Amino acid sequence: MSASDQYDCHEAFRRLDDYVDRELPPEQMERVQAHLEICAICAAEVRFEATVLDELRGKLRRIGVPGGLMERISARIAQARAAEGPTG
Amino acid sequence: MDGTAVSAPAAPAAPPEDFESLLAPVVERAYGTALRLTGEAADAEDLVQEAALRAFQAFHQYRQGTNFRAWFFRILLNCFYASRRKKRPETSLEALEEAPPLYLYSRTAEAGLHAPGRDPAREVLDRIAGEDAARAVASLPEEFRVVATLYFMDDFSYQEIAGVLDVPVGTVRSRLHRGRKLLQKALWEVATDAGLVAARSEDA
Repeated sequence: MSASDQYDCHEAFRRLDDYVDRELPPEQMERVQAHLEICAICAAEVRFEATVLDELRGKLRRIGVPGGLMERISARIAQARAAEGPTG
Repeated sequence: MDGTAVSAPAAPAAPPEDFESLLAPVVERAYGTALRLTGEAADAEDLVQEAALRAFQAFHQYRQGTNFRAWFFRILLNCFYASRRKKRPETSLEALEEAPPLYLYSRTAEAGLHAPGRDPAREVLDRIAGEDAARAVASLPEEFRVVATLYFMDDFSYQEIAGVLDVPVGTVRSRLHRGRKLLQKALWEVATDAGLVAARSEDA
């Protein structure tokens, strides 16, 4: 990648949210990555944002699923099937 | 056809999968999402059961081999919106206060948490209990909350979220990015209420 292809801080920053979500086209992902390798400040910002999102994801996903949920759903579906009759 | 076929040979058709064997692997994820959307375990189970029944009744419209999880979540979200319509009106997004970018990053820097060898993002999140994180998401306006919930709970891409909600992908991107900024503001309040900054100044 030549110097003229590289993003500056402003161009990289505009793509920060999409970058941490891996939602940029591959060529832009690479250009942001290349900028982060030479810019410690942007790299620290990206690392911070990604850590916040990962930690939050982990906390939000820690939930107890009630036992027998799928069985209760299957029972309701069986009822619906019976109501529909044998030909569906 | 001989020697000139350009398309790949047709794969042998997989036997069509029945509804319940497609639903079973996604039902726990669906419950988690429903819990974060509704905030109540009983409402979450009602929502998943209702969506499962609707999906079963509409299963003839599902195209075998396509993304069942996205198809089912679309029904789940429709059921959620149908139940919400009976409840309180939401604030308009235009009237909403914007949070600046890098809100937590800036606040933690000001609070002196960016010293070498420290992980300020983790220090903030360590102060936040799971239920407080859920409450922070729940405090977002509904349009942001729904997109953020699908994003955090389900590993959907922006494109998949757009499909589930039937909105353009640009709308998903904008709601998610704006919602995340508001969320950072809410998280900072929770973390400082939990003593983050006071604890740090005691260290100093």
